[in-house]
Amino acid sequence: MFGVFAGLAFGIVLALGDLYGGRILSVIIRGYVEFFRGSPIIIQLFVFLYVLPASINYLVPSLHFQFDPLTVGFLVFGLNSAAYQKGYVKGAVEAIFEDQMTAGRSIGMSRPQTLWHVILPQALRIVIPAWSNEFCSITKSTPALLVLGIRDLTAAGMTIVGQTWRILETYSLIALLYLIWITAVTKIADVVYEKKKIPGIEISA
Amino acid sequence: MVGIVMKCEHLWKTYEPHLIAVKDVSLKIGEGEIKLIFGPSGSGKSTFLRCLAMLTMPDKGDVFLRDECLTKPGVNLNKERARIGFVFQHIWLFRHLTALGNVELALRRVLKQPKEEARENALKALREVKMEEWAHHYPAQMSGGQQQRVGIARALARNPDIILLDEPTSALDPELTGEVIDTLRDLAGKGTTMLIISHEMPFAREIADEMIFYDGGTIVETGPPEQFFTNPQSERAKKFMTRLIMKTRRE
Repeated sequence: MFGVFAGLAFGIVLALGDLYGGRILSVIIRGYVEFFRGSPIIIQLFVFLYVLPASINYLVPSLHFQFDPLTVGFLVFGLNSAAYQKGYVKGAVEAIFEDQMTAGRSIGMSRPQTLWHVILPQALRIVIPAWSNEFCSITKSTPALLVLGIRDLTAAGMTIVGQTWRILETYSLIALLYLIWITAVTKIADVVYEKKKIPGIEISA
Repeated sequence: MVGIVMKCEHLWKTYEPHLIAVKDVSLKIGEGEIKLIFGPSGSGKSTFLRCLAMLTMPDKGDVFLRDECLTKPGVNLNKERARIGFVFQHIWLFRHLTALGNVELALRRVLKQPKEEARENALKALREVKMEEWAHHYPAQMSGGQQQRVGIARALARNPDIILLDEPTSALDPELTGEVIDTLRDLAGKGTTMLIISHEMPFAREIADEMIFYDGGTIVETGPPEQFFTNPQSERAKKFMTRLIMKTRRE
């Protein structure tokens, strides 16, 4: 859950960085995005839990750097989501950017002002449907945390099955819980979208 | 001696690699004057207007707003642009804001007026363009002509020294241009200093103090409207006016 919001915030930063930052920043950002989009999330979790600390410790042995699994979970999900969301935000911003920026500057606002008051309000509304897809995606990926030993809903389910052998009921219940959770949030997202929709701008997800 | 509101000297703007939109152009416009620029498409008129507002940076030359030089380094362009009103051909209202919101935005965020004062002034501007009743509507709920009138209100609200208009009616259906032209006529009557790019010839004849024929990046000819309608001096202006008048007659 946290992952998606962190992803949104960071995704916006990334999108803006890519649009404005100049060549070097663009390349770095693109590399980052490719890594997170191009590899399975389980691998990303392993990289952060094992590979990264090991490399850092190799370079600077005195650090004894270590990630605890929960932090890794948050971090990876956040970064992963950000990678996808950067794409959505960038698309939304580019759709409206040029003209609205010129209009904003024509009334005397600076670029940052125009971004904040004119472009982002519009871009963020366009992003809502894509965001709700992203939320579904991330939530359904949370079982991957199993590999780190973190207990998520699925893990709890597996434990229960191990103790009670009630496979059918347990997993049906788990599936139902996921379903209810996702449906509730997407319904809320739909309502928010309807209320905040700018009359005349319709983007189909 | 009329006070000069805006002037530019030896302005140049080139788009790589070979397109010269503004070729050594100098122009002055005085208090209360209304000048109209016209000419073939692609001649650089829009670019020139945007250079005056510093929305596009000129390559060479100077732009002055009253006594301030806008082209020298270290100028707070945002503050200066707040003194210039710009109306766009494609309107470009802020779609996520109501008409009132559009007009208020600059007052609150740029001029830093308190909420009440900003609202007052915004409503006043909307009243001037006769769009007060639509204050709480969104741009998508209005016709093109109404949107453009709000665009004019947005430019007016800050009481700018001058209003620059880039073909304000060109993107509108013919039936809708009338309401925008009426609004501009009212503004002209009130003594607003305006520099307009337009091809509405009857309108030009009626309100412009001076007409400027712009072609190929330069000012080819200037003079009072009558001169262009009866006896243009330059060949290019002659050709252009003939074509334009024939086209208007046919419509």
